[in-house]
Amino acid sequence: MARAKAEQQPAATGTTLVVGVGLGVAFLLFMAFLNVVKSGNLLSEPNLLYAALIFYAGAGTLYLGFGVTGTPSYIRFASLATWAGLVANTGAVAHRWYEAGHPPFASIYEMLLSFVWTLAVLTLIAEKKYGVKVIGTVTMPVAIVGVVLMQLLRTEVRPLVPALQSTWLHVHVTLAMLAYAACALSFALAMMFLIQDKVKTETFLAATSLFTVGTYIGVLTRFEKWGGLNVVAWSPQDKSEVFIAKGVRLFVVIPDLGWLMLIVLAAVAAPLLLYLIFRKTEDESFLDMANRTVFVSILLQTMALAFFILRARDGQYASLDAEGLFSTSLAASPFILSGLVGGIFASLLYLLLLWRRSDLERMLPSAEELDRITYRTIAIAFPLLTLMIAAGAYWANRTWGSYWSWDPKETWAAITWLVYAGYLHMRITRGWRGRRAAYFAILGFAVVMFTFFGVTYLLPGLHAYA
Amino acid sequence: MAGTFETTIRKLWQTLSAIKTGVILLIITVIVSAAGTVILQRPATEAEEMQRAYSPNMLRLLDAMGLTDVFHAWWFVLLLTLVSLSIIAASIQRFPNSWRFFSRPYKSPDESFRKALPVQAQIAVPDEETGLAAAERVLRKAGLKPERFVKENSFSLFAERNRVSELAVYIVHASLLLIFLGGIVDALYGWRGYMSLTRGEQSSRIEQNGNKRTLPFAIRCDAAGQENYADGTPKRWWSKLAVIEAGEVVQRKEIVVNDPLVYRGIRFYQSSYGRTGKLDKLVLTAAPLAGSGDSKEIVLAQGETAPLDADTTVRLAEFIPDYVVQDGQVYARSNDLENPAVHLIVTSAKSGKSVNVWLPAIPGFEQNSESPYSFEGKDIQMAYFTGLEVSHEPGQWGVWAGVILMGLGLALVFYLVHTRFWVVPVKDARGHLTLWLGGTANRNKDVFEQRFRKAVQEIESEMKIQSQPCARAHATSLAGD
Repeated sequence: MARAKAEQQPAATGTTLVVGVGLGVAFLLFMAFLNVVKSGNLLSEPNLLYAALIFYAGAGTLYLGFGVTGTPSYIRFASLATWAGLVANTGAVAHRWYEAGHPPFASIYEMLLSFVWTLAVLTLIAEKKYGVKVIGTVTMPVAIVGVVLMQLLRTEVRPLVPALQSTWLHVHVTLAMLAYAACALSFALAMMFLIQDKVKTETFLAATSLFTVGTYIGVLTRFEKWGGLNVVAWSPQDKSEVFIAKGVRLFVVIPDLGWLMLIVLAAVAAPLLLYLIFRKTEDESFLDMANRTVFVSILLQTMALAFFILRARDGQYASLDAEGLFSTSLAASPFILSGLVGGIFASLLYLLLLWRRSDLERMLPSAEELDRITYRTIAIAFPLLTLMIAAGAYWANRTWGSYWSWDPKETWAAITWLVYAGYLHMRITRGWRGRRAAYFAILGFAVVMFTFFGVTYLLPGLHAYA
Repeated sequence: MAGTFETTIRKLWQTLSAIKTGVILLIITVIVSAAGTVILQRPATEAEEMQRAYSPNMLRLLDAMGLTDVFHAWWFVLLLTLVSLSIIAASIQRFPNSWRFFSRPYKSPDESFRKALPVQAQIAVPDEETGLAAAERVLRKAGLKPERFVKENSFSLFAERNRVSELAVYIVHASLLLIFLGGIVDALYGWRGYMSLTRGEQSSRIEQNGNKRTLPFAIRCDAAGQENYADGTPKRWWSKLAVIEAGEVVQRKEIVVNDPLVYRGIRFYQSSYGRTGKLDKLVLTAAPLAGSGDSKEIVLAQGETAPLDADTTVRLAEFIPDYVVQDGQVYARSNDLENPAVHLIVTSAKSGKSVNVWLPAIPGFEQNSESPYSFEGKDIQMAYFTGLEVSHEPGQWGVWAGVILMGLGLALVFYLVHTRFWVVPVKDARGHLTLWLGGTANRNKDVFEQRFRKAVQEIESEMKIQSQPCARAHATSLAGD
């Protein structure tokens, strides 16, 4: 029923999208140009980033357009836009590097800059070398989210504290970015494999809902009595979080935002619940309802994001731990922000799958091919992970006098390594292929994400810098 | 009796070497480690904070289960030991097979092997020599070194590449064990501590969580300092250290964060730098109030006495970096040089009379007007301490060797593929002479199959070129006519 309706969605035809995107990009560039004429500095970092954003957005739209309509010419233009975005992005990285005098890995902002760059490079490699053309549908929106986050987080070049002045740090972080980007790619490939392997669409519904529910539960760990939401206080003078003790951040309560998050949690949990009822009763109408609640949840999620941005961007709020009012900033809550954006994004991808599954299947390489490429990506990611951990240990040994201190970040990096080691053993000695291997690859990426975001966000430790 | 013992041992060995055991052990390790990052850990967290975070009953339970210090608990060490044993057992069980594979390559395949090989092809050849020669040329072009074997009036070819790849996985396992071994050595014989020195101070005592350790040599701090960025955040901490053994300086180094001093396997890291709140040097000018005489500059340290003239001396009795007067007392508010006060005692030897001089003049304490000299502060130099982390990790060389070995092993595992080709001339079912070609690869089998097909095609075209030259020459001569 739902599927029949979905297939009647009008397909964007011919060149409309290319022309539309082209006009949009031209318009935005023109507007930017007007600004540049006013300020007179063409190749500044914000301008370059802005250009990268425009091109990535264009590329993302075209990749999505290709995913939806399957018009091959979109891919050509999308690649071109990605290349243009990459050039601008490279410029921004170089600019930052030159200005700071060290490779851009010292703050969340700088790491995002490098991460987006790596992602764009890997997208082009996957497309050109392995022929995975729709990969941009997944990676470009991630890049866009990254650049948008950077616009919010932009900071001046801050001097490096003594512990960070080490070549080994750069080696460590470069390897981490490369490894994580490769893991992200293997995740995208495993997902595509599952699509090609005829995993039911409703299974993806369950997975997407589970992800969003998890995200909102994570956000709601910051729920405060009377419906407030705890966020980290931000000091505009120091351009950093407010600390009350070494490594302990000061939280302020944004009133009522907690309730909103709770409502959205209910909205994103609804599809999951309906799916479970469908599994129990085998009644298709529940599935139909679940798909409709996904729309509602996207609407509410967007609202939650808008309210969060509006209220957390700047404002004065009281804290439970200290007297007086403190300001907040989006820069102080990068993880909540990326969680919210990620949730919306995952739901949108599900809709794409719901409507255009058959087209997607036609576009993607065969299941066996995807399975192989996933393995190969992990075969690249694993040695990078190993070297990343080793470089980190060496740096720690030179700075803190110990190569391994069981700090949460270290421990989780080791767990990530073990999970991928498990994947490789199962594949090589037990001959795990196909779906089991794909699930394993997805698990691996979930652990990577937890190591990258979760540990910094939830668990305290030595890795206070990132 | 002996028999049951033997079977028990054998069963134990089989269990230990099974992949399943290894996987279960790894899963347990992962879960326990994850728990150790979620639950606050004892050595890193202060007792007070633990009590704040958990209820007393909860804390007692966690303590009893050893979950408040997971990574140093005996059962965690046991778990890691079991993982190591499992890796060793699994490697030993599989190694003989791999070694046979490695040391005695299978070069001339028999009929049953030829039948079972999944990647193979047969092509028609005019005669043995042409076929084998063509195959040889193609394999050589691909960078392989084919060997010929003579066997009961027939030839066969064998070529291979990257045989060492078969052993690479053992290199990775051995490297992991080496890292574990280094870690165990450090856990048993390594230690960490802290020492703080002021300029010119010399010490061989190290503080370690309550107890002290004395080194067989001493460390002296000759100088230490901090450099700041323009915005005031610290850029660099440094200390000039000297190692003194048996009264002699045996090593000198300026250490900074990220660059320690190493002596006899003991490492000294720059970890902190700050004010002790004590005075290093005070520079004053003293001018006689009565009679003539130039003012003179004197330099004083805490408690030090300096002569002013034949009769009078001055002693620095007190230095307060940040003073405040409360309830008729002078207190130090902090160790920062915010609001300094100096208490001098001027003594006359003849009369035996002492006068308290305060800079600045604090009413109720100062007797400045009775002093024969007036003083003026010129410069205050505070004493700084440099904090050094000290660590001894004799096992770390095992760890680094293991890391390098692992990098090497992984490179071999993932990027060197052991490929083998066999070429045997055989008669097919109808009695025609054909060339049987077969090949295997230990990884990336699909890519290998494509390469194999390509090689077979190349051999076929190679033979055609060989048999064609005369035909083509004939054709051109006809065209020339």
